[in-house]
Amino acid sequence: MYAVETEQLTKYYGQNRGIADLSMSVLDGEVFGLIGPNGAGKTTTIRLLLGLIKPSAGFVRIFGRELPAAGGKFYRRVGYLPAEVSYYPEMTGRDLIEYSAGFYSIGSFQWVEELVDRLQFDPDKKVRAYSHGNLKKLGIIQALMHKPLLLIMDEPGSGLEPLVRQELFKILEELNQRGATIFFSTHVLKEVERICSRVAMVKDGRLLHIGPVDELPGRNIRVVIFKVSGSRPSSAALEKMGEARELPSRPGYYRGLSHLPVNELVSYLSRFNLDYLRITDPSLEEVLFHLYEFSPGGGGTPHV
Amino acid sequence: MFNGNISSTEISLNRRGLLIWTLVIIVVILVYLGPFAFLEDAGLVEMIEGYPEAFTAGLGMTPEMFVDVNLYHGGLVLLYVVLLASIYSMMLAGGMVTRDVELGAVEFLYTRPVPRSVILVSKASAFLVLLTLLWIAAYLASTVVGSFWIAPAVFDIYAQFSAHLMGYLACLAAGGIAFALAPLFDRTQASTTLAIGFGFGFFLLNSLAAMYEQLHFLQYLSIYYYADLSGAVAGEMFLTGLVVLPALFFGGVAAGAVLIKKKDFTV
Repeated sequence: MYAVETEQLTKYYGQNRGIADLSMSVLDGEVFGLIGPNGAGKTTTIRLLLGLIKPSAGFVRIFGRELPAAGGKFYRRVGYLPAEVSYYPEMTGRDLIEYSAGFYSIGSFQWVEELVDRLQFDPDKKVRAYSHGNLKKLGIIQALMHKPLLLIMDEPGSGLEPLVRQELFKILEELNQRGATIFFSTHVLKEVERICSRVAMVKDGRLLHIGPVDELPGRNIRVVIFKVSGSRPSSAALEKMGEARELPSRPGYYRGLSHLPVNELVSYLSRFNLDYLRITDPSLEEVLFHLYEFSPGGGGTPHV
Repeated sequence: MFNGNISSTEISLNRRGLLIWTLVIIVVILVYLGPFAFLEDAGLVEMIEGYPEAFTAGLGMTPEMFVDVNLYHGGLVLLYVVLLASIYSMMLAGGMVTRDVELGAVEFLYTRPVPRSVILVSKASAFLVLLTLLWIAAYLASTVVGSFWIAPAVFDIYAQFSAHLMGYLACLAAGGIAFALAPLFDRTQASTTLAIGFGFGFFLLNSLAAMYEQLHFLQYLSIYYYADLSGAVAGEMFLTGLVVLPALFFGGVAAGAVLIKKKDFTV
């Protein structure tokens, strides 16, 4: 059974394309990541899944029922966290939690209190007094309070302190173990790698790739920043290091995207007399850059 | 078709606005009705009679109003109360819909397990409660000032009730129009501008229709025609108004519910 299905889903805002021909399916109980840079169409996709906007073409099915025929009741099984959380400024966090709880048959507030505690949220302030991070915590509480079967989250980790973000992902893992399907968008590869079983990659409103996280294109790319003592590295060496280029802000330092397995990479670098070496994971933009050969936004044919 | 959780929250969110507008309307009643004893002299009536008839008719005045406290309050003071209260009604109704979009709270409210049409109907129910409270306060203020201070012997609280009821229904109709139009806008400023425009627009149409014979037909486009405050205070409730004004409210809410179902919330 699919929790979420889209078929040729397309949304235009006037002449501007939001997303085009997006077909994907999310299995019941799966943790699914939608990854793409800003403006890729992630939020549009999520709003279409929730029925907040209507598709220009194609359709959405949630638990086998097509939207919008599913009607308001389908939201009983869905929890939603928007990227930018906004509420009524004159209400307190507690008012908002109680208001939100009023829409569901929540017998006990024990789970809500546990969420408040684990996210270190102070519910007694006015919404207008909350920071971006605290608003996000409030959004998470109202999205999870009724233990939804399907959780749709737009950039859940953004704006949260690292420890709270870690706690959030722990909570999501727990919910998933209890059977909840989680669909979330992000532009942070690490978040996807941490909890997702499958991932869809979108750019410029189009689906680039869909599949298991292990098969995510560009996952084996490494960012290599190094400084060789003495002379400039040879062209062959720079090419081997993923066409490394000298950093304009730090003369003598080179940065490249390498496809070599880590062992091979370290072994190759050991030939040089290095003053500095840093190997990190690439950002999403860098993965997309790699997929497209040239700069993001430039179009072209992906290597997938 | 109704969600009490949404209605009670809307009432709570709008109680400060209600308090402010109620105070404004009470002050208007005090300021206009209070000096009636000083207005009631032959000199003023002669002066009003001296003005061009079209001018006084346009302002909703007749010389008889200045010698009859019931006609003065029901026909003239309430005319201006309806002007203010109808603007408030439209601001309130429009704001209930557009504020969610402007704040971004639509992503919260419109993803609850409640159909969009029920959300709008629940907001309209809250509007109904708030407007009723406003008019109860206005009626009580009129009764206290008229019966206990200005004209204890002649102030007819039953006739005034009829006029207040028609004023209330006129504001209800204005609110219905705002509920019908609000889904077309995403900004509270737009719905406020609309409220002020419509509020004064209805008044202007009513004035123009009263001033010029050729523009008489314009009265049918104004809520004041259907409210017929002077008729109500004279004991002749306008039956067409009793049907048209509530129908405008319910029709407006129904139209708003259809439009909001089709609306894309892009925030």
